[in-house]
Amino acid sequence: MIKDRSEALMRSKWFMPVFCLTLGVVVLAAGWLGGQLGVGLFGLVVMAAFGLVILLLTRHNETIRGLTTGRDERFAQIDLKATAVAGSVLILTVIVAWLVEVARGHSGQPYDWLGAIGGLAYVAAIALFRWRG
Amino acid sequence: MKNQVRTLRTQRSLAQGQLADAMGVSRQTINSIENERYTPSLPLAMALARYFGVTVEEMFDDQGP
Repeated sequence: MIKDRSEALMRSKWFMPVFCLTLGVVVLAAGWLGGQLGVGLFGLVVMAAFGLVILLLTRHNETIRGLTTGRDERFAQIDLKATAVAGSVLILTVIVAWLVEVARGHSGQPYDWLGAIGGLAYVAAIALFRWRG
Repeated sequence: MKNQVRTLRTQRSLAQGQLADAMGVSRQTINSIENERYTPSLPLAMALARYFGVTVEEMFDDQGP
């Protein structure tokens, strides 16, 4: 019941635009707290524009529709592969950045703990999915 | 994977969109299955076979070249 409700919510064409707008407001709040209101406002405008583009293109573009209302099993598989690629690129980037920082004689911060989180998350996910069968 | 989805669909004069609606997937997913770019999950394969009144083995051929 709760799962059905949350799936219905995520399949709404308004979910992603509202999510983008909410994220923009969070960026604005972070910028305001950090004394960088301009950066926060820029973030809000970019996220709001992105949400608007998604809302307008949902009907006409399968990729956008897959991100919003039309996620079927094929798109779920595409999403899974895309997430794996993005995660791999991110982890590789963190490792390379850490190596560059160490080679420059620095401590490797903050890439060391970012890499550690990535590695631990991967191992934890493997263990969890193996346990769940 | 080779399959008979397009043949069975056209025999019944169904558009890809109509079959997609009946299966609860996108038209592009039906198109990808017909063009052997996407292998459906077991539940979708069974739903397709049930919809056309054939067995999964009759609809999908995993022994092909």
